[in-house]
Amino acid sequence: MSISSEVLLEAESASGLGEVIEADVVGLSPGRLFWRRFRSDRVAVASAVFVIVLIIIAAAAPLVVKILGVPGPDVQNVNLLNAFGLPTGPSSAHPFGVDGLGEDVLSRTIYGARVSLEVGLVGTAIATVLGTILGLLAGFYGGWTDTLIMRAVDVFLAFPVLVLGLGIAEACGFRACLDGVIQPGIGTVIFIIALTSFTYIARIVRGQVLSLREKEFVEAARSLGASNNRILGREILPNLLAPIIVYSSLLIPLNILFEAALSFLGVGIRPPTPSWGQMLSQAGNGILADNPAWWYMLFPGLALVFTVLAFNLLGDGLLDALNPRGTR
Amino acid sequence: MRKHLAVLTALAVAVVAVAVVALSSSSAKTAGSKAGALPASATASIASASITEKPGENPVGQQLYGKKSGGTLTVYSGEDFEHLDPGESYFELDYAVMYATQRPLFTYPPNSNTTLVPDLATAMPTTANGGITDGGKTVTVHIQPNVKYSAPVNRDVTSADVAYAIERGWNPNVANPYMEYFQTLKGAPGKGGPIAGITTPNATTIVFHLTAPQAQLLIGALSLPLSSPVPESFAGPMDKHAPTTYGSQAEVATGPYMIEANPSTGVFAGLGYQPGKSLTLVRNPNWSASTYSSAFHPPAYLDRINVEIGGEASVIGPQVLKGSDSVQLDTPANTVVALAYEHYPRQITFTPGSGDHYVALDNVHGVFTNVNIRRAVWANLDRAAIVKLRGGSLVAEPATHFIYPGNQGYTQSGGAAGPNYPWNKDVDGNLQVAEHYMKLAGYPSGKYTGSETVQIVAGNNADAPAIAQVVDQDFTQLGLKVRLTEVDQPTMYAKYCGVPKEEIDACPSVGWIRDFADPLTTLFETFYGPAIVPTNNSNWGQVNEPAINKEMVTAENTVNPTQAAAAWAKVDDMLVDNAVAIPEEWDNQPNIEAGDVAGVNDLWDTGSWDFMFTSLK
Repeated sequence: MSISSEVLLEAESASGLGEVIEADVVGLSPGRLFWRRFRSDRVAVASAVFVIVLIIIAAAAPLVVKILGVPGPDVQNVNLLNAFGLPTGPSSAHPFGVDGLGEDVLSRTIYGARVSLEVGLVGTAIATVLGTILGLLAGFYGGWTDTLIMRAVDVFLAFPVLVLGLGIAEACGFRACLDGVIQPGIGTVIFIIALTSFTYIARIVRGQVLSLREKEFVEAARSLGASNNRILGREILPNLLAPIIVYSSLLIPLNILFEAALSFLGVGIRPPTPSWGQMLSQAGNGILADNPAWWYMLFPGLALVFTVLAFNLLGDGLLDALNPRGTR
Repeated sequence: MRKHLAVLTALAVAVVAVAVVALSSSSAKTAGSKAGALPASATASIASASITEKPGENPVGQQLYGKKSGGTLTVYSGEDFEHLDPGESYFELDYAVMYATQRPLFTYPPNSNTTLVPDLATAMPTTANGGITDGGKTVTVHIQPNVKYSAPVNRDVTSADVAYAIERGWNPNVANPYMEYFQTLKGAPGKGGPIAGITTPNATTIVFHLTAPQAQLLIGALSLPLSSPVPESFAGPMDKHAPTTYGSQAEVATGPYMIEANPSTGVFAGLGYQPGKSLTLVRNPNWSASTYSSAFHPPAYLDRINVEIGGEASVIGPQVLKGSDSVQLDTPANTVVALAYEHYPRQITFTPGSGDHYVALDNVHGVFTNVNIRRAVWANLDRAAIVKLRGGSLVAEPATHFIYPGNQGYTQSGGAAGPNYPWNKDVDGNLQVAEHYMKLAGYPSGKYTGSETVQIVAGNNADAPAIAQVVDQDFTQLGLKVRLTEVDQPTMYAKYCGVPKEEIDACPSVGWIRDFADPLTTLFETFYGPAIVPTNNSNWGQVNEPAINKEMVTAENTVNPTQAAAAWAKVDDMLVDNAVAIPEEWDNQPNIEAGDVAGVNDLWDTGSWDFMFTSLK
């Protein structure tokens, strides 16, 4: 992919690096160019830092919880409920308060990050791989292959995703589905997410492939006798990386929210595994005009909001850095 | 994708805004409520003190007669009614309407859950008055003359109407759910038409002929809505529909109130009852206060009762507590109980003996076929924690056996402490005892090391999920591998726990409310082996111990009430010994009313408001 020097210069001057570096521009690899542009986007960098910190916290959840000195996420303690069996609010021992079982909300919020990230990243990765393969095949081969795949994608797009998700979760929720491949809980949620979000990637990839396959470098490769597989894998796919990264990074927050919605509706992640959506749902039962257990809703809610926001802004940053011709 | 971002940002802002609002409004509220921070024991003692301070509000001592007449009561109920036909209804909310509009042969006065009094009948049948003859195999009942149906029937009730009311229970279009209490009638089960076991020698006499000496059981069952008279001339054509339209389209009343209906047709659908929306009770103009015995004569203070159906429990509760002329019919949310107790203590009542909850264990499939594993999980279950999750000691107490307070046989089977078995001693769970029984079950480490998974199916409403997690944790602690599935409560019963071939290992928080004071109505459906059916099964653990079955039949055929209670207490003891299920807690049903309502709770009907005795202040 060629990048016009005009745009590049514009980006450089915007980043404040000025003309000093102009001489080096020619020698920069696409990766370094991306990094230079990304680095200059403060919002994107902040989001990336947030996401990285979140990943570290999620990965080291047991350690973090230990350092903070709060009980584990599934330690039940009914002594922390008041005389009416209602959860008590924040205290020095439990900074985020406790839930209806006397479990520590701080601890559950931290462990909840694991579920959100796992579902967001793994679900999106599966959807991306699936969508990319189908999009490549449809766009490259055209004809009945294209018709078949894209009509199937259209059918998937026509389903109301939440209703489809509820149906699958209900069907696989009691005993596992497909001979135990899809286990109730996180497995089902990832399956639903992959099934409902691969369509976006497939459509975008197909569109890109349709234009790329007519490009001169593809013609050149073909006239040199390259096989279809080689053209797909070595010529077209590398040129798809930027849009795939951008769109899959924007799918992550959507999928995190989708998991939260499924768990909120009671068909997603099962207790005692904590998930933010599930915590919000349980908090909803205790919320009442005269006696709100606000801590129980606020903290997982904020965690969800900031995580989704960070992934979105990061995705935007990636879009700008990888596709400088895009207009903001 | 940009569009998505915009939407998400808007959503994020909205969530933060909501959270901030919640935060700011609650900080003001929580500062005011101090009692919530008290330790449980302190609050519990306050509870008992303040309950005894207001005897007028205590179901046992509540004032029934000599109160103010007139006015309209608004009744809020989040839940709708299920059946308004005396032959079909089997739900405490339905009962509140049934007993105000229909007159069964016998009834319990609001303040009693053990002593029956005549309602449509003139007296309680006894051996002394010739009501029980033939060694307990024949029961003769005389009914009050001059009891008149509401329009359009407008004629006097006859004993033949009572016979038809009971016989239609067998009609598949009516399908009464408790016909097993009438199984010993000669010629039973019927098909909806006359049977040999019920005869009516004259217009005010009805005689029941039994094949076993079960007079007491029959008399108890005749206090259920099924024995309320139904005129065949009016209901017969409706009973030909599947299901019957009597009680869903039209109905006639004999009680002090009637569902508001078209006087020329008796049709109430769309007028006095709009499903999911409202139900209206008005005075029955054909009712006469003089057609009762001295033991029971409902004053019927109110002129009109408007039931508003639907709405969130968390909204209804504060509305009732802060409003006027209103009560809540279904169960208030835990948060509302707390609010009422702290700020409106005179407007909440707790009715003891309102039912029980237990963990059903599959006695014939999987891990729990081993009696010692059942004893181990019983010993380890933290029943005190479950009481807490139910809403604390005001609304529940730890259960130690299956005949719950307020039933005959409760004291004989050990009262609050229950039968004296090691696994029954510590209501907050005892791991040592549990491990001891795990060892006896063949697991030397005291932890289960087998390969079977325990499938738990639990309800997903109110406190059921939390209780299921306590059960999950206490099972897991003994090495059991648990898979917990939560479904909505009707599905839990209809698709899983009530279907034996699903082989669900454990169902937490299954509940039972007795039909009348006879312990049979608590233990028979739930633990009698031959009562197991393929669907809609209520013997959730498929308990089928020959010795227990035999003892139940003996108890059932014991005529003397004291001896019968002792025989049922023995059954109860055997159920505990076999650890057929794990009792969780016994319920004290909370009910709330507005400050200007002098509500009367039916002690025998889980504290439901009795519209015949409730008045405005």
